[in-house]
Amino acid sequence: MTPVDRRAFLTRSAAAISIGGVGAAVGATLAPDAPASTPKSGAAADGLTPDLAERVPFDGVHQAGVLTPRQDQSTFVGLDSIAPSQDVLFGALEALSATARTLTQGDRVAVTRIDDPPPDSGLLGPVNQPDSLTVTIAFGPSLFDDRYGLAGKRPHHLTTMPAFAHDELDPYRTGGDVLVQICAGQRDTVVHTYRELMRAVAGSLVIRWTIDGFQSAQRGPSPKSSRRNLFAFRDGTGNPDVTDAGLMNQLIWVQPGAGEPEWAVGGTYLVARTIRMHVEFWDRVGMLEQEQMIGRDRVIGAPLGGTNEFQDPAYGLDPKGKRIPLDAHIRLANPRTAATNDQRILRRGYNYHRGIDSAGDLDQGLMFIAFNQNPERQYATIQNRLGPEPMTDYITPVGGGYFFAPPGSRGATDWVGSGLA
Amino acid sequence: MLALAALAAVVLNGRSTSGATHRVNVVPAAAHSHAGNPYPLHITTVVGSSIPAKQYGNELSKQQGSATEDSATPGATPGAPITPVSPSAFAGPTAAYRAWAEHWAATLAGEVPRLRSALATGTRAPAEREWQLAYSDYLHLGAVYGLLPGTLDEQIDGMPHALPGPGAPAPSFSGLHRIEMGLWTGARPASLVPWAARLEHDVGTLQRVLPTVQIDPLDYATRAHEILEDAQRDLLSGTDVPWSGAGVLGTAAGVAATDEVISTLTPLLEARDSTLLDVNNWLDRLQHVLDQLRAAHGGSWPSLGQLDLTQREELDGTVAGALGPLSQVPGSLETTPAPVIPKLSQAK
Repeated sequence: MTPVDRRAFLTRSAAAISIGGVGAAVGATLAPDAPASTPKSGAAADGLTPDLAERVPFDGVHQAGVLTPRQDQSTFVGLDSIAPSQDVLFGALEALSATARTLTQGDRVAVTRIDDPPPDSGLLGPVNQPDSLTVTIAFGPSLFDDRYGLAGKRPHHLTTMPAFAHDELDPYRTGGDVLVQICAGQRDTVVHTYRELMRAVAGSLVIRWTIDGFQSAQRGPSPKSSRRNLFAFRDGTGNPDVTDAGLMNQLIWVQPGAGEPEWAVGGTYLVARTIRMHVEFWDRVGMLEQEQMIGRDRVIGAPLGGTNEFQDPAYGLDPKGKRIPLDAHIRLANPRTAATNDQRILRRGYNYHRGIDSAGDLDQGLMFIAFNQNPERQYATIQNRLGPEPMTDYITPVGGGYFFAPPGSRGATDWVGSGLA
Repeated sequence: MLALAALAAVVLNGRSTSGATHRVNVVPAAAHSHAGNPYPLHITTVVGSSIPAKQYGNELSKQQGSATEDSATPGATPGAPITPVSPSAFAGPTAAYRAWAEHWAATLAGEVPRLRSALATGTRAPAEREWQLAYSDYLHLGAVYGLLPGTLDEQIDGMPHALPGPGAPAPSFSGLHRIEMGLWTGARPASLVPWAARLEHDVGTLQRVLPTVQIDPLDYATRAHEILEDAQRDLLSGTDVPWSGAGVLGTAAGVAATDEVISTLTPLLEARDSTLLDVNNWLDRLQHVLDQLRAAHGGSWPSLGQLDLTQREELDGTVAGALGPLSQVPGSLETTPAPVIPKLSQAK
């Protein structure tokens, strides 16, 4: 992230108004080398919400929102295209990127004539501060059917997500031609972005399903401690190191020469799984049984028998599963062998809670999001291995889908997915 | 919420200090459905513990605090260890439950031909009533349907999971729900006769295999709450009865099966702790709610859609309350001491 000093940002915004006149966007005035001086801890001295000026570039070799440290709030939207032609579809995708670029970089809300509907809903006030906003755009396999002449461009591994063992996929919560992942520090930033993006594509892309996610607060003990999911266990401990560019090229980004269409190079596959967690059931399970299902200590997150979260579980020393049962979640998900190393995925999921179901039970769960280079080699292999895990009694996957997040947009005139044109 | 459930159970305990072996009368649920605070002040302890009710939060946080300190030795649980029950002690209860299951399988076997005839005559309403009877019969098997060999349970009671979208179900979709789908979506009843014939065959298989089904002691104790958990998740939500909405009928069958499990386990539970009293109080209260619902709908089970908000809340809330003490049953009847988890070598 490139932090921008809030005061500098506002000063520049004011300058831009006087120079550019009413309605001028100020995104361009945010210098990419703006000083990294925003304090990271505690409330801002002026009593305002801190970190709103944090900015993540929209354009780049890869899309943002993949390796970007997980922001606190998110919304996921599965969209279907009703565009009558390829041209109209591309126009909508271009508008999606243009709006996302403007909002992620921050802009001043334009003022228009008093009797015209304002071009921005104004939810965030006169200035749309970036608030670490990322908008990640991905395409579902259905976009490559016979409607838009894109069949020949379909990324090689982009298939309809299979129903895995124990899945109860609801067609109204599954799939979509386009997936948009919106992440930011504050809920209102996400809601505003969602609203503006949908306005930009009205008439071409319609909402098929949507879900809001949140990340648990960082409650330590260290800043690196993984956050908890709604089963109260730390989630994401075993993620590959996103700062290791070589590793990301092995596991996440589509590489040239891998048999994929050229336009897909630099992109990644996004696996979305809406996983209902039956939390009342879970809360009736004994602590020991909970820990044995997961394979970790619930409080500190250490592999069972261990003392620290990031300790290697050393399965080799426990071949019979006396310490960590052979069907424990962490053991099946990542056996940590040479043969399974290239199956690793980058998880970037969010907790969700969305009211109650019709039996009055809490509708809570995990919007599981994983990025990987090849879902057959990686995600599906892992998921099939998890088939027999005892934890399946307490969860029900109900939605999601396979999507492909193309490489990043290359600049202000480009858009995510332009390789399709 | 669990705390509330526990406290509510205390209320019921408070109304009866008689022995733990027989059911006590409960105040009709409606009497305390809309009171601001239905729980009187004479509550003394939290169910299943000696913790004074007014100290519940403090005691809980102390326990959680000690769990944190103990975290280097996962598996250590606060509280006094209880002596494991001998697995052989379950022989009587599981044999009794097997006999119950065989009885209901026989009842079902008698019912399916009546369903088949009703379908053949082509009149929908009687066929729907026969279907409800057959469905209820099967759900009375409760504690064994997870133990049936192969895909037999799926053939009789399976749902067409993971449909790619609205449209034709997978060809393997058969059984009670296949007939339900047809009956409540306008299919000609006579067109469903072949599914009833197939069901008759599968129920015959059920009767043959039941005597050989192995019921593991721990599994059996777990059924004390799992039957009702399944009812809550799959029936009261409507997930498994999307066409008929027969969630109340199904839940009532699940309660009957749960009653039978508890009744067979009573000799074991009596010797343990206060679980049995709590369980029986809640099961009585739940049965009372179900009886009232049935009476309010002219003596037949209402569909989920026919419940008004108050009825829905009464039923959902009582099921949720009953699940608290029911989930204590397996813990009360542990057959092995908690395993000691080896330490992970620090060298690694």
